[in-house]
Amino acid sequence: MITRFAASVLFALLLPVAANAITVKSVQGPTGVDTWLSEEHALPMIAVNISLPAGSAYDPSDKPGLANMMASLLDEGAGDLTSDAFKQALESRAIRLSASAERDYVVVTLTTLKENADEAFRLAALALGHPRFDAEAVERIRVMLQASLKQDDEDPSKVAVKAWYAAYFGPHPYAHPTAGTPAGVAAIKSDDIKNFAADHLVRGGIKVAVSGDITETQLKKYLQQVFLSLPAKSVPVVPKPVDAGKPASHTIVRNEAAPVALFGSPAPMRADADFIPAFVANYILGGGSFSARLMDQVRDKRGLTYGIYTQLNDFRSASILVGSVQSDKGKILTAIDVTKSEMAHFAKDGATAKELADAKTFLTGSFPLTLDSNAKIARTLNGYQRSGLSADYVEKRNAMIQAVTIAKVNEMAKKYFDPTRLVVVIAGTPAMAASAPKPPAAANTVPTATR
Amino acid sequence: MKPGLAPALAVFALLGVAGGIVIATEGLTPSDADAAPAASASVKASQFTLKNGMQLVVIPDHRAPVVTHMVWYHVGGTDDPPGLSGAAHFFEHLMFRGTKAVPNGELSKIVARNGGQDNAQTSHDYTVYFQRIAKDRLPIVMGLEADRMVNLDLSEPNVVTERDVVLEERHLRIDSEPQAMAQEQMQAALHLSHPYGRPVIGWEAEIKRIGRAEANDFYQHHYAPNNAIVMVVGDVNPDEVKKLADEKYGAVAVRQLAPRIDEPPPPRLGDARLNFALPGTKLPQLLRMYRVPGYVKSPRGTAEAMEVMSSILGGGSTSRLYKALVMDKKLAVEAGASYDGHNRGPGSFIVYAVPRDGVSFDTLEAAMDQIIAGMLRAPPEEGEFNRAKTQLVAEYTYQHDNQYLMAQDYGTALSIGLTIEDVEDWPNRIRAVQAADVRKVAQTYLVKQESVTGRMSPKTGP
Repeated sequence: MITRFAASVLFALLLPVAANAITVKSVQGPTGVDTWLSEEHALPMIAVNISLPAGSAYDPSDKPGLANMMASLLDEGAGDLTSDAFKQALESRAIRLSASAERDYVVVTLTTLKENADEAFRLAALALGHPRFDAEAVERIRVMLQASLKQDDEDPSKVAVKAWYAAYFGPHPYAHPTAGTPAGVAAIKSDDIKNFAADHLVRGGIKVAVSGDITETQLKKYLQQVFLSLPAKSVPVVPKPVDAGKPASHTIVRNEAAPVALFGSPAPMRADADFIPAFVANYILGGGSFSARLMDQVRDKRGLTYGIYTQLNDFRSASILVGSVQSDKGKILTAIDVTKSEMAHFAKDGATAKELADAKTFLTGSFPLTLDSNAKIARTLNGYQRSGLSADYVEKRNAMIQAVTIAKVNEMAKKYFDPTRLVVVIAGTPAMAASAPKPPAAANTVPTATR
Repeated sequence: MKPGLAPALAVFALLGVAGGIVIATEGLTPSDADAAPAASASVKASQFTLKNGMQLVVIPDHRAPVVTHMVWYHVGGTDDPPGLSGAAHFFEHLMFRGTKAVPNGELSKIVARNGGQDNAQTSHDYTVYFQRIAKDRLPIVMGLEADRMVNLDLSEPNVVTERDVVLEERHLRIDSEPQAMAQEQMQAALHLSHPYGRPVIGWEAEIKRIGRAEANDFYQHHYAPNNAIVMVVGDVNPDEVKKLADEKYGAVAVRQLAPRIDEPPPPRLGDARLNFALPGTKLPQLLRMYRVPGYVKSPRGTAEAMEVMSSILGGGSTSRLYKALVMDKKLAVEAGASYDGHNRGPGSFIVYAVPRDGVSFDTLEAAMDQIIAGMLRAPPEEGEFNRAKTQLVAEYTYQHDNQYLMAQDYGTALSIGLTIEDVEDWPNRIRAVQAADVRKVAQTYLVKQESVTGRMSPKTGP
């Protein structure tokens, strides 16, 4: 019978980490655009991610939302094709093209069947090289974006994210909300969009990742078609923030049954040798869903939340450790208090050898799950490119994680997981109560409220 | 879904740029909810039946050294006993409460320690548990599922505490989401006394009535190898999986199952309207649901024609609704349609629009009705018709690019009574749809008395 095994037996079954199935090739060509290719011929399709240095950090401070509005208009007409004609050209061949703004980059995704690749790259070239920004489309998309901002305002999570970045980055442009603000979106003129596109849809700094049924030779041809006609200019990197992340606590007064809190502090830059060890440390404290300490203490032991997570977010000019927790309004302050005391405990005493071993097993073992489809491969590789990694990172990554020592994790815990440095934003008014955290329940009791 | 991830994930999806959370991989934003969708002619599924009646389906996908392992039980919200809505979903939660060998919460931790992800999902028709993990860990997750199929610890404290968790989930997912609240009400109005009218998560007062005895009864009569399909999709071959399944699941004893009631949908004799002004609504919305045939109980080709019709009417930026309401008449900010036919019982067809500032619901609905009437008046034009079919067929390939979504596609079909051939032949059946079929399904099924129309207004005043 299968019922005989005990949990302890399972740990003995741990096997060596499976090798990665993909090979990443850096493609060189006359366009000079940084391009990675993972050839995969099992399915007759191609997934492409293109990042252009045109993110919301470049928005003028009185027009937040400009980058996102430009991105939203990239599939709304190009060359001699009006919006409707362009959409018909895409849809008649089931080509998917979309774009959205992040803080440093606008990310364009293109998905096509192999048989339609010529047309897909032709339309992508038109969209990036000759977008029209017709008045009809601009006004229609403006109204759509305004409605979407209104809808975002229904969601305390989105409200918290927006407010947290504003609080953490202050005057630095990473504070701009990527989707903009109602006033910002209202103030954007057609010429603003055209000028922004002229400055930012340029060849310097573009990152391209491709996965699927395509050879290097074919890809090189398409790269020339899409990128050679773009101006060979560059966009300056956003300056490093000087005064960001001053510890503070803010509450956004709203009537929410379950407020959302975001908390965060500075983290090592992606290129810093501390990044990988800090990433492993983060898994132990708050990154590892069911196995993380915060989930265990805040949810399982005390029933204060449905979920709590932390992660490292790296940008070109800053890096942050940021976490989130949602809880009933009567419990949110306690949830934050427990989070802080767990963080302090982690900083002081560090991780156990078993926690580190478990973290390494998960982080290395789950890696192939992020690379099991063309869409995920293109997205993942493009993310690595944005982070400034090299094309052999996929091969080296698990060894880097295996090399992290307990001493290093504990050093990271002390250096970066400091509750006194947190910027905290709560979207939703907490109900009174909550002074000292309740003591943890006995190990075997179950959560009493949210999970 | 299982106790777990949703709210915080929503936040992180927004943090955008570089962080991954679901699987904690740095430098990306991973998600199994890949938009990318479906189809590959090369996929070849093998099907077996174990001695105890358990179905096994194996679909090789050798692109990455991983597997998706799923157990689909033929039980869902439709099997909730009268007065105990939410029982199936509640039970899904209890399946994480542990066994003697694997105590409370330990299962997910074991999966995580092995580099995997796990979760579960309950619908009206099925309940599914899954793990995504490196292929060499397949024996571990099979052992875990076989264990909890029969050895669950349904002690009083486990049941009582988990009930609070489920109530909390209802508060967070439904009672504080105006759109979810409105849709729950509309489904109740649409399906009348058919079980699809009851929310899968359950009405609050009924969730509170589910106790240990009810849970145990549910377990004894629905959770058994002879009521389950195991799906393994990934870097495996069918023979090795068959051998492993025999070893891990083969000894689980057969149970006497409760018969599944297949209630015929009651007649609808008039259309229904619901007007909402719920707390938290900031954006007005017009939504209409039609009760229409699904894939299972309609003549071959009906549901496929519904798919094509849905795409033409509201599938994208060149669809009739978007073009007329958003682009030409400027009445709406957004408009579209969607069809869900993958149910044992009736399917649903939804048409929606978000009015522009200053546009009344009456004006918007009249314009929407006009567009819908156009679908009944004449067969679609060649351009839009071909575009719709091309997109649906490609969708199959895009979806099957994602191993989890491919497994979900096969599993859903099998669990509602379709076959592997039905799944793999779907693109051909879409290609075979004729323009006249589209008009015919519109005429036959887009009828007012089979619909509920909801208007969601922002709440004014305090």
